[in-house]
Amino acid sequence: MFDEALRMEDIHLAYRDIVGAMFSKPRILGYFRGIETDPQKELISNVNFSVKRGETVCIGGPSGQGKSALLRIIAGLTRPTRGHIYYFGEFIPPEKLTALEVAKRQVGMVFQNGALISNLRVRDNIGLPLRYHKMGSPAEIDEKINMAMDLMRVRDEADLFPHMLSVGMQKRVAIARSWAMDPKLLLMDEPTAGLDNYNRRNLLPLIDNMRTLFKTTIIIVTHDLMISKELDCNICFLHRKTLTEPKPFDYWLNSDSEISRELFRDLRNSG
Amino acid sequence: MQTFFTAVEIFPILFVVATLFGAVTIIEVISMMGKMGFADFVGSTIVIVIIRELGPILTAFLIAGRSGSSLTTYIGSMVINDEVDALASMGVNPIRFLVMPGLIGGCIAMFIMNIFFSASAIFAGFVVTKVIIHVTGNIMNTQLTWSYLSTEIMNALEITDFAFMVIKPLVFGAIITTNACYQALNIQRDIRQVPKAVSRSVIKSFLYIVVADVIISIFYIVDYIKNLNTLI
Repeated sequence: MFDEALRMEDIHLAYRDIVGAMFSKPRILGYFRGIETDPQKELISNVNFSVKRGETVCIGGPSGQGKSALLRIIAGLTRPTRGHIYYFGEFIPPEKLTALEVAKRQVGMVFQNGALISNLRVRDNIGLPLRYHKMGSPAEIDEKINMAMDLMRVRDEADLFPHMLSVGMQKRVAIARSWAMDPKLLLMDEPTAGLDNYNRRNLLPLIDNMRTLFKTTIIIVTHDLMISKELDCNICFLHRKTLTEPKPFDYWLNSDSEISRELFRDLRNSG
Repeated sequence: MQTFFTAVEIFPILFVVATLFGAVTIIEVISMMGKMGFADFVGSTIVIVIIRELGPILTAFLIAGRSGSSLTTYIGSMVINDEVDALASMGVNPIRFLVMPGLIGGCIAMFIMNIFFSASAIFAGFVVTKVIIHVTGNIMNTQLTWSYLSTEIMNALEITDFAFMVIKPLVFGAIITTNACYQALNIQRDIRQVPKAVSRSVIKSFLYIVVADVIISIFYIVDYIKNLNTLI
């Protein structure tokens, strides 16, 4: 059994040529086409990264550096220009790297905005993937939905539609939906963005529960550096198109590297 | 749900358009055919105009404008909000989850609406025509009765008309829904792209419907040539 949940080797991602895009094939066929790229417009370059099973890793860095793009590559939503990705030791060839294919490896994703299906109630949003994949009898699915809602403390909102929920509540429902599918690898895009301190404090223990109780491997993309301290996990940075080594929060806080000076300046000043 | 969305909400406007269109067609056909001495062709002309050609096309245009555009807006908004990506990342095939219900519901709704349009155009169109004749003091000097009109139409109907009353709406329904979903699923992540996709969806649906109608009409040309050969 492979010890690694994810391994990425020599990952590159370049912008598609904007002029060419006008005449290119439609987006929905994007998974099947070669990407027209310009090496000068590379967003991510030579990323090598691996995560052990059950480990939690944060990916930080300033806005617009390609953190979310990297997460979308892992989820199979964006195809890298070059590189190899292994999920639990299994290599998926680039031409087969699609979200549907990655999802078969029990990889879940929580989007920055929650991305709840707007015309489904909270209960049905959580139950959607379970019913679609027929993951148990109707009674078992209902039980699983209730467990997920209890874990994320959204039981009272079960019959509400997403637009009736606050941002924090939507994120909790999105996490509940991903958790209900028993993901072995969970990708989270800015889980604390847009949350006040109270909701942020409430959310982090829930993420911690998933890690400790269910041994889920978690990759969190965030600009909230304190997450890595509070979850006591390693953090790496997407800096100058490539990814640094994952290190503990305290290492970066005391490091004299350029990225540390840039990102930890405020934290150091505040003591 | 999709059938309800596509069909029921468009019922009132479709009924009004069908009734007025039916009345105009009946008045024009009755007056023109009477003047030219082709009274025997009243039924055939009404069948061709209402049941065979313009009925399905107008129904399709109304559904493309109302339901096709709504479907593009709905799915386009889902693309912008990452909901389609979320579906894919959960292993839920967006084509199966979003497009198939739209396609099946759209075809069923189009079939029902086409029959409703033709029936309204003839029945309600006849009533409106009678009212117009009465109000204008029968200046056209026509003796239009329901038994005359219904007999003419029933005599003119052929088995192929019934077949095309099924085929055309299904083809048009499939065109409207697949085109609406296609335009929506292909938008870039920019909210300004949604209205552009909606207008593309409607205009292209109109175009494809007319092209499909022309292709289907080839059957009648082939049928006509066959009949001509038999006569010769």
